[in-house]
Amino acid sequence: MELLSNLGLGFSVAGSFANLAFCLIGAILGTLIGVLPGIGATATIAMLLPITFQLEPVSSLIMLAGIYYGAQYGGSTTAILINMPGESSSAVTAIDGYQMARKGRAGAALAICAIGSFFAGTVSTFLVAIFAPWLTEQALKFGAAEYFSLMVLGLVMSVVLAHGSIVKALAMVVLGLLLGVVGTDIYTGTPRFTMGITEYADGLNFVALAVGVFGIAEILRNLEDESETREVMTASVRNLWPTREDFRAMVGPVLRGTGIGSLLGILPGGGAILASFASYTMEKKISKNPQEFGKGAIAGVAGPESANNAGAQTSFIPLLTLGIPANPVMALMIGAMIIQGIVPGPSVVTDQPELFWGIIASMWIGNLMLVVLNLPLIGLWVKLLTVPYYILFPIIMAMCSIGVYSVASNTFDLYAVAFFGLLGYLMSKLRFEPAPLLLGFVLGPLLEENLRRAMILSRGDATTFVTRPISLTLLLMSLGVLVLVLLPAIRKGRDEVFVESEG
Amino acid sequence: MSNQNTDTTEVAAGVMLILIAVFFGWQTLDLEVGTSLRMGPGYFPMILSGLLLILGIIVLLSAFRQKGEPFGRVAWRGLLFILPAPVFFGLTVRGLGFVPSLFITTLIAAQASVKMRPLPALILAVAVTVFSTFVFSYALGLPFRRFGPWLPL
Amino acid sequence: MTIKLTRRLLLGATLALGFAGAALAEFPDRPVTLVIPFAAGGSTDVVGRIVADKMSAALGQQVIVQNVGGAGGSLGAGQVAKADPDGYTILMGTVATHALNPLILKQKPYDPVADFAPVSLLVLVPNVLAVNPELPVNNVQELIDLAKKEPLSYASSGNGTPLHLSGALFNSMAGIEITHIPYKGSGPALTDVLGNQVPIIFDNLPSTSGHLKSGKLKALGVTTAERAPSFPDIPAIAETLPGYETYSWNALFAPAGTPPEVVTKLNEAAKTAMADPDVIKQMDGFSTTIVASSPEELAEHVKAEMAKWEPVVREANVSLD
Repeated sequence: MELLSNLGLGFSVAGSFANLAFCLIGAILGTLIGVLPGIGATATIAMLLPITFQLEPVSSLIMLAGIYYGAQYGGSTTAILINMPGESSSAVTAIDGYQMARKGRAGAALAICAIGSFFAGTVSTFLVAIFAPWLTEQALKFGAAEYFSLMVLGLVMSVVLAHGSIVKALAMVVLGLLLGVVGTDIYTGTPRFTMGITEYADGLNFVALAVGVFGIAEILRNLEDESETREVMTASVRNLWPTREDFRAMVGPVLRGTGIGSLLGILPGGGAILASFASYTMEKKISKNPQEFGKGAIAGVAGPESANNAGAQTSFIPLLTLGIPANPVMALMIGAMIIQGIVPGPSVVTDQPELFWGIIASMWIGNLMLVVLNLPLIGLWVKLLTVPYYILFPIIMAMCSIGVYSVASNTFDLYAVAFFGLLGYLMSKLRFEPAPLLLGFVLGPLLEENLRRAMILSRGDATTFVTRPISLTLLLMSLGVLVLVLLPAIRKGRDEVFVESEG
Repeated sequence: MSNQNTDTTEVAAGVMLILIAVFFGWQTLDLEVGTSLRMGPGYFPMILSGLLLILGIIVLLSAFRQKGEPFGRVAWRGLLFILPAPVFFGLTVRGLGFVPSLFITTLIAAQASVKMRPLPALILAVAVTVFSTFVFSYALGLPFRRFGPWLPL
Repeated sequence: MTIKLTRRLLLGATLALGFAGAALAEFPDRPVTLVIPFAAGGSTDVVGRIVADKMSAALGQQVIVQNVGGAGGSLGAGQVAKADPDGYTILMGTVATHALNPLILKQKPYDPVADFAPVSLLVLVPNVLAVNPELPVNNVQELIDLAKKEPLSYASSGNGTPLHLSGALFNSMAGIEITHIPYKGSGPALTDVLGNQVPIIFDNLPSTSGHLKSGKLKALGVTTAERAPSFPDIPAIAETLPGYETYSWNALFAPAGTPPEVVTKLNEAAKTAMADPDVIKQMDGFSTTIVASSPEELAEHVKAEMAKWEPVVREANVSLD
């Protein structure tokens, strides 16, 4: 059993006292910084990266990995508690998680997150250990045409995210795509919609957009009417822990989320960002009570959170086997490796087995630590909600400002926060949903980039999308989802749509 | 509930979408559209602006066949103090430095609630500033200048 | 506008007050900020952090790294160009910030010569022309012959990068037309070449070296005039196309107007850092050549680089607004 001996080696490396300590420090630091509003995994790693440069290679990567999933975990916590996602993946968690919190079920939502994430993390860690090289080969079959079709599938699914009018959800997707286009065109270098501001040449900052349309819009909504007794949160927190029914309701979503997340996480080039959206869509579609989604459905938290965490683990596969970053955080990890004198690439597995297997083993240990750390903390987080809102939101504003600024020291990102806060508030007054906008924003650049690349590579032959089998499959799946989405809407007629939009 | 057969919220939503579409479409005019082999920078945005325009028109037209819903209150005070907070931080973090800039930012944001009294606001701003300076500047070593060049220190 | 004006006034007042004191104190009496005009984790960032670490020891003051990424390095470079010329804000310049961007950008956020006081050249980074092993070519000549027969494409880390232009120079010198496919950074470009979605790539030697050693990519030639010491088996492209030479480089710059004695001090610290055995070992590890220079040599280097790239940029018809 080569796998067992490899894992044994990994656990012996990761289990050393020093590495356990670094893993723990990483997980704690990540959680703590990630839990500050507006500061997600990318901002956290960018802030903490320099600290790790002083360490041993294995220890520094173990700590960075710990910061990564710790921050992702912390980001979900703020998404649930105050509707402030710091990362595209936790934007989905915010939809139903925050609604659960408003109903006094924040504790249950957080516990579901912790347990779902741990399960997904365990499964996907073993997937990484067993299938890493083979999965990498599969991921490399994805060219521009395949990515384009994958993004189309993602966009089609995004419409299901909405729980109101489909037309308005579509409009938000398109607006998101347009906002995603802002910045320098990578093919010609032409600046688009930047108003001549060089600071926006690399596009609008995701954190600024998410914080604005989700978090700040929510603060403004809560400030609308302070005179009445209407509190933001139900003061009485019912059952801190998930009930037996909750557990039953989360089993299916967690299993499916883990599967979806593991698969999409492998794709270098933005597969992982689709994971939580895809899982949400799937759960809403197969649920017996789809009307619960958007109003605090357990499956809407359990599925996406598991998918998100599974994707986070498997996105290490391209990093470890090819030395290729699947997302900005992985790019930072590559930098950390190079600075330690490790040349990332396929040779890492053979040349440095302790490093490779040590990191994999530490991923599981880190996930375990997170659950152990966070389950007791849930009580504390929930207590935070009893802090009067007028004290909470100035703190939120301060942390958001720091978080957004720390990503790239770009003051224009802060102005974008204010703008998107206004836009988000306006949107909510006009009954638009922010989630489809966010997905459009994330996918827009990828969609365009791959569409144009595929067309150049095929020398202008548009049939490239249907002659390549993987691409064709993805497009057929999109068509299938589209039919699934539109059929009930057409059948039930317009009434249904408008009833839902009142929610 | 108004008795009219027009939903003003939806009218506003449709108009907003149309305006945004027109704005992006107008900005796209300067960009080269290209051909489908060599798509120019304007190709994709042009399609999107057109799509958004159509969706806006659909929203607008269907607004005339529904009953209206109350628009609800607007958080004017919130808008007035919340939105300028990050802008102020952006304008001053380099000049005044992290500590004074964050202090005033928090103070501005705190004014958004009528429930916030001056003294608690001051205490809160001090606490947030001390905490953040300790965590971000000292513990994490972020390259912020604590006190900037605008201050005669 | 008023805000900007007030800022200027305040700045001026503080500067006037500050200078009298600063002239007396020995440089450096507080931490120095090294601006890296790219995101953390990239190759420039790595070089910058290694150098900053050793320069801190030489200067006796912390050298703090600040990443100000964006617009191909122009944002960070522009920020340093406008910083106080006191030596406390310096820039990790590159071939992009000090040769290519000024030639390519229509709106010029700074002048690479007039706005900076050169401190020291630090390293030269060779680039490499590599192909997926499934492409039936074994050397540069075979690639040129193939390109004359059928349409080919090459991947690079982005429009207007040294790697894109290395390809453009190769095209023009060989009289062929391999289509350029830009990516957002070298990671995604490498992925597509490893998966044979695009057969050819121009990339930094350091980021490709792992794949060359494992055989997942086949190197046809390095872009430096001579072969790279770390890969003596890879021929130089110049052996087939005489005169072909490109490479990426990193150098330290201070804002123009920095006092000469401060520049000298920074230069000495940089040289000490680059002579450190650890640094030599690390740079060797990723195929980077150390060239610590005098400020004058760096000034010459910048001019020579701009002169070299100007015709390539014109011929490749790259321009960014």
